[in-house]
Amino acid sequence: MRTNYRIHSGIRFKMLSDDQLQALFDGTLHVMETTGLDVHHEEARDILKKAGARIDGIRVRIPSYLTKRALSSAPRSFKIYARDGNPKHDIHIGPGFAYFGPGPTPPNFTDVETLERRPYVRKDARVVAKVVDALPNIDFCESLGTISDVHPDLAASYEFAEMFPNTSKPIVAWSYGWDDGEDIHKIAVAEAGGQEAFEKRPNYVHYCEPLSPLTGSFEAVDKVIFAARHRVPVIFTPCPLAGGTAPVTAAGIIIQAAAESWMGLVLAQIIKPGVPFFMGGVLSVLDMNATILSYGAPELSLMMAGITELAHYAGLPLWQTGGCTDSKTLDEQASLEGALSCFFSALTEGDLCHDVGYTESGITGSIFQTVMMDEAIGYSRRITRGIKVNDETLATDVIHSVGPNGHYLMHKHTQEHFQTEFWFPNLCDRRSYQQWQDSGAQTMRDRVIERTRKLLTTHEPSSIKPETEKAIKGIMEAAEDRVKDKSN
Amino acid sequence: MSEILSIISSTIIDGKKDDIVQLTQQALDKGLKATEIVDNGLMKGMEVVGARFKSGDMFVPEVMRCARTMLNAMEILDPILAETGAKMVGKVLLGTVKGDLHDIGKNLVGMMCRGAGFQVQDLGIDVQPEAFVKAVKEFQPDVLGMSALLTTTMRTMGDTIKALEEAGVRETVKIMVGGAPVTQAFADNIGANGYAANAPAAADLAKKFAAAA
Repeated sequence: MRTNYRIHSGIRFKMLSDDQLQALFDGTLHVMETTGLDVHHEEARDILKKAGARIDGIRVRIPSYLTKRALSSAPRSFKIYARDGNPKHDIHIGPGFAYFGPGPTPPNFTDVETLERRPYVRKDARVVAKVVDALPNIDFCESLGTISDVHPDLAASYEFAEMFPNTSKPIVAWSYGWDDGEDIHKIAVAEAGGQEAFEKRPNYVHYCEPLSPLTGSFEAVDKVIFAARHRVPVIFTPCPLAGGTAPVTAAGIIIQAAAESWMGLVLAQIIKPGVPFFMGGVLSVLDMNATILSYGAPELSLMMAGITELAHYAGLPLWQTGGCTDSKTLDEQASLEGALSCFFSALTEGDLCHDVGYTESGITGSIFQTVMMDEAIGYSRRITRGIKVNDETLATDVIHSVGPNGHYLMHKHTQEHFQTEFWFPNLCDRRSYQQWQDSGAQTMRDRVIERTRKLLTTHEPSSIKPETEKAIKGIMEAAEDRVKDKSN
Repeated sequence: MSEILSIISSTIIDGKKDDIVQLTQQALDKGLKATEIVDNGLMKGMEVVGARFKSGDMFVPEVMRCARTMLNAMEILDPILAETGAKMVGKVLLGTVKGDLHDIGKNLVGMMCRGAGFQVQDLGIDVQPEAFVKAVKEFQPDVLGMSALLTTTMRTMGDTIKALEEAGVRETVKIMVGGAPVTQAFADNIGANGYAANAPAAADLAKKFAAAA
């Protein structure tokens, strides 16, 4: 008898034991309660104080019961919706799902035509959104850069205004502060059909970043307040550097990052209990010779796996990291570092995995890297889908009917299952040497560039509503008006 | 070179920050001049440290320890050098500009500069242009280093340079800027004297500026 028999077809991956996770959980609560965090935002301190936090100057110490209460009101499962109602572009946050997308704010971009590294400009946001929309394994959109050819205060507003019409996949938006956060929200709400409709079907996520160690800047905290009040799903993700702005040990950096992120969790849940919250951040090593935050280090994947397990243990989704590299170009290093971190991230089921397309340690965004990683994610997803075991897949009858010396090519079983059992590459070449040579002896790099350019010319994202187009125009005109007297 | 100077030099390289105090005192007791100890002992050691770091054989925490060792010796030597009016390597003023709280890169620059023998004053984070002006007037640095991580706060580097011009002290210092989004072109554009991509490059640039002063 097979009681409670269940077909387990995914891969079971678990790195930390429950005892280890409980120690990380307790450590995080301890840091929040005894060390506390500096919160550079008076209103936020007042909100936290009224709820029971102890305030000493700008230092905020959050008792464990407040954090536990916040954890119990934050949802583990919810949905982020495609702006055009295409269910294939919806994102289902919850156990067993892992989504991928690019990252925010590198100053540079690899030009799609000339391949040169240059400052990120407005039209790049369109390029990124369109390619993201077309790629089968990229699920959400971020811009891969900070726009340099508009008024600096409006870089994030223009970024969203350019991306939104060019992809219906949910966007993870980033802003400097409240005003540009409001521009972005107005665009999203216009398409959703009003604030109430947006709250039922949120079509974007807001990204905020506390500072390590243990600091909430005014802007980061202000953005959490904005997101919570408008019921925008919110990510609060620090970027600690092990050995620099956080402990050098993996366990130490995980609890510090968790404390930093959960300060935002507590604040958001006090303001609007139940507002969807993603725990962050990006955990990696300060390279002790190059003095950079490494985006290609094995410790990044390891630490990210640890914090993902802590998030899931505490009942929160996590903002994962992968598909990124320290390499300066689209080469073997970029492929190796990016692919391994994508695979490891997929194993952890980290809910939204970002930075797919970061090169040069986050200094240069490359849509080529994203396109190459789309292949690595597809590859990884085939593995994490696992092996289905049932009467049909065991195929004892099929084996019996073919018997010794037969073949399976024509069998109904093969015909029925080969398309789902096998993964088909878009970029990896498996042909014969002769075929490869006859078709131009292209390298992986050549094929990535070709596919990217082809997607840009052939893919047509779904349109936004005409009234949203009008709204974007009005919102951006008002934004320009807001900054017209401020220096560049 | 006397034996004690080579011991001082290797003590710097090994980062034995407690041993250096006694060694420095011993060298003075033997009649060596403070300038000799600095030039032929401490700096010789730091040169090796710098070279090893550049070639990837030494790492930041070790370099920091060496710089700390050097500072311990300088605490004894500084008053003597000041008395004799000997020329020091120079003075560096540092700060993360207004509106920006990111300072790990700036802290690294501070340590590298101290290791190179500079006297360093660090104004910290979120430093207003007026605070830079005040410190330039009081501390009289050879080099001013400003850092920013955000494209929005980066602009206040230009505002700070303007404030120094208005206060009439712009020409008294060489200005270097850095931070992830900062580039040579940006540095040129706001009228800085130089740009450094990382902490060791910043220390090298400061040395170049101070030597020319």
